[in-house]
This record gives sequence, C-alpha cells and structure tokens, in this order.
Amino acid sequence: MATRLLVRRIWAVSVKDSRRLPAAAASLSSSSSSRSSSLSTSVHTRSFLSPSRSLLLSSHRCISFNVQDNDDFTERVINSDLPVLVDFHAQWCGPCKILGPRLEKAVAKQKGRVAMAKVDIDDHTDLAIEYGVSAVPTVIAMRGGDIIDKFVGIKDEDQLDSFVNKLIGQ
Amino acid sequence: MPPVENDNAQIKARLQEFIDSNLVVIFSKSYCPYCKKVKELFKELNVACEAMELDLIENGSSYQDVLMEMTGQKTVPNVFVNKTHVGGCDKTIQAHKDGYLQQLLGAESTAYDYDLIVIGGGSGGLACSKEAAALGKKVMVLDYVVPTPLGTSWGLGGTCVNVGCIPKKLMHQTAMLHTALEDARKFGWEFSEAVNHNWETMKSAVNNYIGSLNWGYRVALRDKNVTYMNSYAEFVEPHKIKATTKRGKEMFHTAAKFVLATGERPRYLGIPGDKEYCITSDDLFYLSYCPGKTLVIGASYVALECGGFLAGLGLDVTIMVRSILLRGFDQDMANRAGDHMETYGIKFIRKFVPIKIEQLEAGTPGRLKVTAKSTETDEIIEGEYNTVLIAVGRDACTGNIGLDKAGVFVNPKNGKIPVNDEEQTNIPHIYAIGDILEGKWELTPVAIQAGRLLARRLFAGSSEKCDYVNVPTTVFTPLEYGSCGLSEEKAIELYGEENLEIFHSLFWPLEYTIPNRDNNRCYAKIICNKLDNERVIGFHYLGPNAGEVTQGFGVAMKCGATKQQLDSTIGIHPTCAEIFTTMEVTKRSGGDIKQTGC
Ligand SMILES: Cc1cc2nc3c(=O)[nH]c(=O)nc-3n(C[C@H](O)[C@H](O)[C@H](O)COP(=O)(O)OP(=O)(O)OC[C@H]3O[C@@H](n4cnc5c(N)ncnc54)[C@H](O)[C@@H]3O)c2cc1C
Repeated sequence: MATRLLVRRIWAVSVKDSRRLPAAAASLSSSSSSRSSSLSTSVHTRSFLSPSRSLLLSSHRCISFNVQDNDDFTERVINSDLPVLVDFHAQWCGPCKILGPRLEKAVAKQKGRVAMAKVDIDDHTDLAIEYGVSAVPTVIAMRGGDIIDKFVGIKDEDQLDSFVNKLIGQ
Repeated sequence: MPPVENDNAQIKARLQEFIDSNLVVIFSKSYCPYCKKVKELFKELNVACEAMELDLIENGSSYQDVLMEMTGQKTVPNVFVNKTHVGGCDKTIQAHKDGYLQQLLGAESTAYDYDLIVIGGGSGGLACSKEAAALGKKVMVLDYVVPTPLGTSWGLGGTCVNVGCIPKKLMHQTAMLHTALEDARKFGWEFSEAVNHNWETMKSAVNNYIGSLNWGYRVALRDKNVTYMNSYAEFVEPHKIKATTKRGKEMFHTAAKFVLATGERPRYLGIPGDKEYCITSDDLFYLSYCPGKTLVIGASYVALECGGFLAGLGLDVTIMVRSILLRGFDQDMANRAGDHMETYGIKFIRKFVPIKIEQLEAGTPGRLKVTAKSTETDEIIEGEYNTVLIAVGRDACTGNIGLDKAGVFVNPKNGKIPVNDEEQTNIPHIYAIGDILEGKWELTPVAIQAGRLLARRLFAGSSEKCDYVNVPTTVFTPLEYGSCGLSEEKAIELYGEENLEIFHSLFWPLEYTIPNRDNNRCYAKIICNKLDNERVIGFHYLGPNAGEVTQGFGVAMKCGATKQQLDSTIGIHPTCAEIFTTMEVTKRSGGDIKQTGC
C-alpha cells in the first residue's frame, strides 16, 4: 500500500507536474519544517513530497471544490495525490447543510494536507450510485484512488477532526 | 366487434409470440398421424416441443388461415424451430436427415437483452420492475419526464410522488393547519393577530421532501439490480424499443416481455392562451411564487383539491365548472363536498367554459384575463386573475410510444389501453398497468398492486390477480371525502332502488364544537344490498381524516361486511368513524339525520 502510494506520487510529480518542480522544491524547506518532529518513515516520504501538492492546491485550486463531472472526479479525486474527503450531498438534504461547513472547517485546519470534493448527488447521480451512496450526507475518505473510510449522517467537529486525522495518518 | 382484419392481426401477433417464445413449435391437430410422427421425432431428439392443437382451440381455422398467410403452408403439422419455419412432416424429417434441424436447434437462440422492460418509472412501473428483479429476472425500467409547456420538470417516481398524491396532500395539510390555527384561538391559544403564509417556504419544504423520495427510488433500483435509464422509450418492433436521452442519444433494447406504465398528463383546453399562460397541477407544485388570485378550470378531483388548498392558504379562489362536480363519484357526496367549499370561501362559476386566455401583465404572478361562455345561453363573461389552473382531466401517454409498431390496440376515443383480467394487452408479450388502463381506477396503490402481482404471475408462477373491486379512495377537499364501493347512482343502476337500503346521518365532529364551525356538514352514508343480507356495497364519508377512516372500512368490505355486522361492532368514542356503528335512519324514510348529543 505505502509503496504503491509512493510510486503514484512520484509518477505524478515527475510526469504531471514537472513544470512546477522548482516551485515545489523551493517551498520544501518551509513546509516541511512546519510539521517537524517525530515522523515515521512513511510520513517522511509524504512530508518530502506533499509540499508540492499543498502549494499546488493552494495556488491553483481551492482545497475544497465542487466535482464537475466524471472526468473531473477521476482527475481531482481518484488521481489526487492528496487524500480526499468526498462529501456526497443534496440540496434537499437539511443535515448536509450543517455537515458541509463543518467538514470544510475540519479540512481547512489541515492546511492543505487533505482536499475536499463536493458531489451533488442529483447532478452526478451516476457517481453517487457507483459509490454506493444510499443516504445523504455520505462522506467517503479516499487515498490513492482507494476508499479507506466512510461515514453516513452527521458528526460533530471533534469527530470530524479525528476522522480527518485518521485519513492523513496522524 | 372489431373488424376481421384486426382479428387477424391479433392472431398473427399471438402466433408470433408463441413461435418466438418456444424453441420448437408444432401447429398440429390432435388426431393427425403425421403430427404424431414429428412429435415423436423431437421426443427421440430429447427436445421439448410446444404443440398447438388447432382442432381443439376456439378459432382454430382462423389460426390456420393466418398460418397460411405467414408460411404459405395450410396443412398440419406446421413446424417452427428456433423461430424458423421448417415445414410439414416430410420436410422436418428431411431436415433431420441432412442436419439442418440440428443446426437450427443448436443455433444461438436470439436471446433478448432483458427478460422484462418496463416503460415508465411511476407507481406501477417501479413496483413491477423491482418485484420482477427480486424474482431473479433481468429487468430494465425507463422513465422520462417531458417538461410542461412552461418548462416544469421533475425526478424519478412518476406522478404520485412528484406532481400528485405527495405534494397535493402536503399542501392540503398546509391549508388544514390554517384552519387549526383559527380553531386554536377558540381553545385558548393566544398568538399575534397576523398569521401569514410563506409560499416559498412551503414549496421548498415540499420539493425537498420529493427530492429525497426521488433519490430513494433511484437507490432502490440499484439495490434491487434493476437497470434504470433516464430515457424516453418507444417501440420500433414488437420486442424492441428505442430509448432517447435528454441529449438526444439513442439506444436500442430488446426484451421478451414488456410492461407499459406511462401514466397520464394534464389535458389542455385547446383555446387561445391555454398553453402559454395557464398552469396545470404539473406546474403548481413547483411554482416559485404564490399564485395569488386563482381561477381553477374543471371539477375533477384534482381541480377541487387544488382549489381547496389554495383557498385554505388564504387565496382568492374561483372554480369554473362546465357541468357536474367529481364525475363518476357519488353525486350526493360530491355536491355536499362542493357546498362545503362554498362556505369555505371558494366561488363557483357553474355552467361556463373558458374560450380565451389573455395576458394583461407578465409577472410572478402576472395578470390574466379570462373570457368564458355559458354552456346554456350566449352569455359571455370576463374575469381577471393572477393565475389560471387547468384541471379538466388527464390524457394517457400512449400516443407517442410506437404502439402501432408493436400492434398494441389503443382505444382511439380516449387513448386508453384495454387489457384482460391479467393486465395483458392484445399483444401477448405486452402488458399494461396503472392510469393508462381502460375502465380501471387511477390510483397509486392500484397501480402498485397491479404491477407487483403481474410480476409474480409472469415470473413466479403465481395466479393472483389484481382485484379492482371495492377499492377505497379519498378526495382531499377541504372537507375530505372518502368512499369505497359503489356510488348511489351505480348501485341503483346495478341492483334497482327497491333492492337497496341506504342508511345515512349527519354528524358534528367533537373537535368542531368549540370552534363552532361546519355544523351539519359532515355526512356518512352506507348503501346495503337487501338481496344479499344487507351487505355493504357502498361506503361514503364526508368529514375530517377521511382517508384514515375509510381505509379500515375498506378492509371490512373486502371481508364482505353486512349492516348487521356494523351494528354489532362497538364504536370508539368520541370519534367520527363511530357513526358507522350506529346508523339507523334510512334515506327512504326521510327521517331526521341531524346529530344530537352522545
Ligand atoms: C394532482 C394529482 C393528485 C393525485 N392524488 C392521488 C392520491 O391522493 N392518491 C392516489 O392514490 N392517487 C393520486 N393521484 C393519481 C396517481 O398519481 C396515479 O394514479 C399514479 O401515479 C399512476 O401510476 P402509473 O404508474 O400509472 O403512472 P405514473 O405515476 O404517472 O408514471 C408514469 C411515468 O412514466 C413516464 N413516461 C411516460 N411515457 C414515457 C416514455 N415513453 N418513456 C419513458 N418514460 C415515460 C412518465 O414521465 C412518468 O414518470 C393523483 C394524481 C394527480 C395528478
């Protein structure tokens, strides 16, 4: 799992984002210093590479975004280098309106270590059906294209923080 | 009787169906030695064959004529293998000798894509497709909503969920709450004088609930393994449909069997301005603004219900009626419901029909001018309204689904599809359920029941048929009207007035006494058949919670309840429904039916 992740990341850096490598490298020191001590090897790997992602996301894309279509989902969620929380929601769903902002807050706290994709299930029914959504809100945690965690319904801020922390491996 | 040509077309379709659905088919006569010989041949080959004995069935000779037309062969046996015509006894034996038969038998049978395709994902279609899939069949359902002339559209689930029962009852409830608020003061509740209603809040709440139901249906189809297509379906061949998406993408699908469940849509008047400026119930539930002063055209239950709840929201409502209220329902009850609506503040313009709708001012709502003509004199009247709602009936969606290509017979007068008591059309592999059926109830639970039972008969060997008798129903007018069984008119027509005993009574719900409203308005009536032990054949209730009251009596009637059994039932006090356990005054007697005390 970790190896696969690593390969994917490096591939992503070398192929997709080669143009931006200098910037990524430049930001490396400051970013990695902010998450300094007591990191395991695998986290080191991430801390080496993730700054490029966070910079990229903060400068070119919003950390939380609305999924536009299936291709967009593939590109920004499945192929994402960052872990992604996918928030399946609907306009008619009251609890979704409470959870959405809480999730954004929890994600913002991570300062670019996790992204958030918002999927309106009426606009993107096929995606929701494919990902087994039965009730909303449903939140799926994805890393490297794999679903690694999921919850349905509402959670309070603390619960969301620990859900997100688990996802990024803290 | 339909013309002979039509008969032949039907026979042909039946034969084709028989041929298509069996590997080996022998048209035979029970006494014919050559027929026996081919049957033995297939027995030797250990191949099951289906024989149709033309001497034993009704119309056998017509079948033989049609076979002649189809194959050029009049004699029996007439053998088909894997949908291919082989010929008579000699030809079949020859085919066996030269291997052609084996080739035909082995040939990949033209398998259909699906066991069942259901056209229309409303009450009936969804129930049928889910049941069939649960029985292990490969099922597709197609649902597509053609937007209204004003562009309103909605999600999966059909009329009831999106533009029928559900939003209607929720808006009726909104209106009932208004009455409850007024009553509340009399019971001692104190709140500020002004009570306002916010249309937008109600509309969003209702639409949101519908959104969740749409999603629930979609999930259920996934979980039950029903293939769902948001496409418009039409037949191109008897076993093949074309499915067109909103973007115009076309796909073709085949199935062994089909169920038509396309429902109905509101009828327009065909007068200047109707489609441009008027709304129907299809638009009303999604209207982004409060309709304001409204003219409802029509006296269908949809007209009375919509007019009723709009008035209940505090709007100025007028209902224009061509002839009678609630055609098909008990007229005594219909008029009582109508009279109550008048006391509720709704104006009725009777015996007038609109001839022209003009826009005076655009807006949300705008202003419209309605010109109407008397049905009896030359009198012309004009009126100004913010909204005109047309509710003059609904047309079956059977005109644009290629039924001619499949050979399905549609009643040209009303677009309805006649079926036998197993919901089968004249084309054996095509069935129909729900609102498009000729002479059947147009109610959601009826469509659901018919759909589920049909699936079980088709795929689980069941023989249970949908029972269209003694169906309970309720009209959600401001004073609700529930009924089960026959109207007084129908009962008299069927049994004769002298053979009926009709018991009736007015009643005053306890809840209405303190607000002191609607005295002598609520009314109960049962129609009993004197020839059959005073069995209850008609049940009618005008009062609060009519649906809740009528449902249970529907069960009783299904069990064959008699007047004596109602009398020996203990009532629940104090309720409205208890009236049915103490009905003594017959209509014939002309006795006093005003309610007095406990
Ligand atoms: C205002 C109103 C209030 C009502 N209130 C009640 C009530 O209180 N209680 C009650 O029992 N009933 C009520 N009804 C009646 C009830 O809605 C219908 O009886 C029921 O919906 C019929 O079900 P159905 O399956 O026949 O058709 P529908 O539910 O109408 O479903 C048919 C579906 O097929 C789709 N379709 C049509 N043609 C095609 C095509 N070619 N390809 C793909 N899809 C197609 C349609 O868009 C629709 O979604 C009400 C109806 C109205 C209009």
